[in-house]
Amino acid sequence: MIKAQPRGTDGRLLSSLPWTLGALGVSLAPHVLYLPVWISAAFLVCGLWRYAIEKRRQMLPSRWVRGALALLCFLGVLGTYSSVSGVGPGSALLAIMASLKLLETRRRRDQFVLLFISIFLVMSSLLREQYLWSLPYLLIGTLIIMTAWLQMSAGASQTARRSFSTGGRLLLYAAPLAIAMWILFPRLASPFWAVPIDSSRAKTGLSDTMSPGDISSLSQSDEVAFRVRFDGDIPEPRDRYWRGLVMTKFNGRSWQGSEPQDARLRADEIEYAGDAFSYEVTLEPTQQQWVFAMDMPREWSLSRTLMGPQQQLWRITPIEQRVAYNVVSYPSYRAQASLAKLFRGWYTAVPENSNKRTAELARSMHELAGSDAAFIDAVLAKFNNEEYFYTLQPPALGSNPVDRFLFDTRQGFCEHYASAFAVMMRSAGIPARIVLGYHGGEINPMGGHLIVRQSDAHAWTEVWLEGKGWRRVDPTAAVAPERIEYGARDAAFEGFGESWGFNAPTELLQNLTMAWDVLNANWNDWILGYGPDKQNSFMKWLGMEDPDWRKMLLSLVIIVIVLILAISGFMMLRNRPPKKDRASRLYLKFVKRTGLELQIGETAQKFSKRAAAENKLPKETIDAVTNAYLEARYGVREDAAVIRLNDALRSIP
Amino acid sequence: MQRGSTLEQLPTGVDAQRAAIESAQKALGSIILGKQSQIRLALSCLLARGHLLIEDLPGLGKTMLAQSLAKTLGLSFRRIQFTSDLLPADIIGVSVFRQERGEFEFQPGPVFSQLILADEVNRATPKAQSALLEAMEEHQVSVDGETRALPDPFFVVATQNPGDQIGTFPLPESQLDRFLMRVTIGYPDQESERELLAGEDRRLMLNDIEPVTDPETLLALQTSVRKQKVSDALIDYVQALVRFTRESADIEIGLSPRGAQALIAAARAHSFIEQHAGVFPDDIQAVFPSVAGHRLKPAGSTRFRSPHELCQHVLDSVAIP
Repeated sequence: MIKAQPRGTDGRLLSSLPWTLGALGVSLAPHVLYLPVWISAAFLVCGLWRYAIEKRRQMLPSRWVRGALALLCFLGVLGTYSSVSGVGPGSALLAIMASLKLLETRRRRDQFVLLFISIFLVMSSLLREQYLWSLPYLLIGTLIIMTAWLQMSAGASQTARRSFSTGGRLLLYAAPLAIAMWILFPRLASPFWAVPIDSSRAKTGLSDTMSPGDISSLSQSDEVAFRVRFDGDIPEPRDRYWRGLVMTKFNGRSWQGSEPQDARLRADEIEYAGDAFSYEVTLEPTQQQWVFAMDMPREWSLSRTLMGPQQQLWRITPIEQRVAYNVVSYPSYRAQASLAKLFRGWYTAVPENSNKRTAELARSMHELAGSDAAFIDAVLAKFNNEEYFYTLQPPALGSNPVDRFLFDTRQGFCEHYASAFAVMMRSAGIPARIVLGYHGGEINPMGGHLIVRQSDAHAWTEVWLEGKGWRRVDPTAAVAPERIEYGARDAAFEGFGESWGFNAPTELLQNLTMAWDVLNANWNDWILGYGPDKQNSFMKWLGMEDPDWRKMLLSLVIIVIVLILAISGFMMLRNRPPKKDRASRLYLKFVKRTGLELQIGETAQKFSKRAAAENKLPKETIDAVTNAYLEARYGVREDAAVIRLNDALRSIP
Repeated sequence: MQRGSTLEQLPTGVDAQRAAIESAQKALGSIILGKQSQIRLALSCLLARGHLLIEDLPGLGKTMLAQSLAKTLGLSFRRIQFTSDLLPADIIGVSVFRQERGEFEFQPGPVFSQLILADEVNRATPKAQSALLEAMEEHQVSVDGETRALPDPFFVVATQNPGDQIGTFPLPESQLDRFLMRVTIGYPDQESERELLAGEDRRLMLNDIEPVTDPETLLALQTSVRKQKVSDALIDYVQALVRFTRESADIEIGLSPRGAQALIAAARAHSFIEQHAGVFPDDIQAVFPSVAGHRLKPAGSTRFRSPHELCQHVLDSVAIP
């Protein structure tokens, strides 16, 4: 009796399985950094397991095992993210299910499903980030998947090299269509869909509290905060204070941004003077509301953006995507010449039980100095003349950080000085607040723009003086003037280079960095920043009047049709029959005269028999033309035969 | 006059060649009735210095065609009946020790003839088959380390029975390639069969045939054939055909460059027999099924049942440029 044998794999997929695994691996690569480690490990395990099954002709895991694994992995994702929607959990789920799908890949059809999934995975990496290098990755990833696809569908005789070149050619054919779609597909100001932002992602940048150590940790980050393109000259470094958020509340240890509410328009309280700077800022996404501008902004183009009570710009919605906006700033200004009593109390508040030594020192120095202005000078002179050090590695400060910094450690970064200075001012009864933002920035000589990085993050103070309004005082300038003159990157730190492994960059490296930045800036401007506004102006530049989405869709359809026609025309041109010689042209004339049509594969002799049978022309004429034609095309004395052919044709009435 | 005579001799030479071919065709036609195109193909094959494989059922005149070819062309003829116990030495010959002279003497085998009929070639073992096929390819044989040239012209007509399955060793594709043409003879039509039945015994008729040429004339014919003009337009056509066989979904393995060369060589001979001014597409079409039929490997999914149908499909699909 024949017993049903359990069906194992037959090894048919052995040659194509590495391609499937490779395509999946390539598509998972950009996700690996964001996915939990266990998912990447599960992919590796599933891939190796599946390969071993095929190699040893074993059975695929049973339905129950697969179901249990799928449930387990689903719960794993749910446990890791406590959600299954959004970019993070979504791609995690896709990745793990693709890995599990390997375990039920029995036929070629299943492999194609996996290739579909890998294309989707490649594209979904764009939901996370769209860097300049995403483009080469997309191209190479798609090319590899295409190669795998062709390799699988073509069978064993096809070489990988040939699949690769065919895949490349197919992508090349698709490129004009993709470019046309990208340019013309209508961009909407408020899209119908929204990509959920991956909130789990740690973002470097300023936050809305400032404790000692916050900014010095930022100073190690090379990440670009924003880029600025000035319409005219670039201002001197000492004027380049990029105002972000203002912090007014001090709890003895950290500063916070909670602020007194006032319905009045703060912009009215600023008097502007002198020359203006006009520039465009391209701000990287911060997930925060602050809009950075140079002191003191007067006009800005970003929509839904207001000036807050402390003269800081903020947008109603967080900046989740890169934005570009134009600003006009006046370095000379006077803000809030008068300050209500209530606010004075607010701006001089310090917690009573902390930093007592600082408060005492401030009061005695204020008495000694006599006036507010003299007191400010005295404090700055203290920072300058006494042994205070500007360092990126300040020691820990404990519970009364200002006391400890001022009297004991005497080493700090800008936030220590700003905080100490503001506390001293407040203790002496002078309204003071801390401004957090960026200072300086690096000029890219190739692109002519200014790069402001996270390492340029800075904190300074503003004090309010009767009749003069809020004045910027940067205590860091008193300690490390070079920080203000040349920027944080170039400020000379003793031992800094060695301890962090940085050395003075060589010129070549510097140039490469700058070229890369120009490339990135243009990429951001033109590719990623190609939104409704840019599309609109580009369409106008192309000559489209009044561009709207209907016209763009219509042009898109026209371009697609034209492209298809052009490509098929090109193919036809390439495969067209060779140019006919004279004898052929004469013969075709003769064929036309007979009223018959030459069939595919019909020789002249066969045609002559058919023509004679149909009695279209006298048999002698047909024979004469046919013989002359055959000799002219295939015989020895062509020229004479062509003349005979011509004569024979003329004899036809 | 010396000069005048050479000038006059050349056209008469070609005329004599043409006349010889015509009379050969006629003589062959009188024995093998109603098979003009097969006779033409066999002659083309011979003139193109190729070897011929005749594949058909028994009793259709395979042997008769080979024998009458030898006879009309005046070639020395040997027949080798291939059987499963045939040894290579039975084909090539052996060295025999002569006691009286105290040395070995080579006894040439049947392969040392101008026309060889290898009857039922697929009945022999591959070893015996390859002995013959090697001789066909090299035009020489090596015995006891000594290379011996085969006669010139050297022409092999092999026959095989496609119906036989048991106890046969079908020739592999690579060896089929050694044959310039593979032809089938097929049943005669009503009229020819009637004439055959009413007429004399063909075997006796064979004895009465007078050779119309001699080996020297045949060699000269073969040289003339190679001078038949092949125009660029014709090469375009051959290339189009070859490309089609390589790209068609019905064909797994298309024509190789050697196959294309064989096609042109056979068409040259055919156009010479047909007295064409050059090689015409008609010549290509006439020889294509026999030259390409055994060289194409049809795809498993093809709807064409025989190589002949497949070849006709190729001819009907490729426009003549």
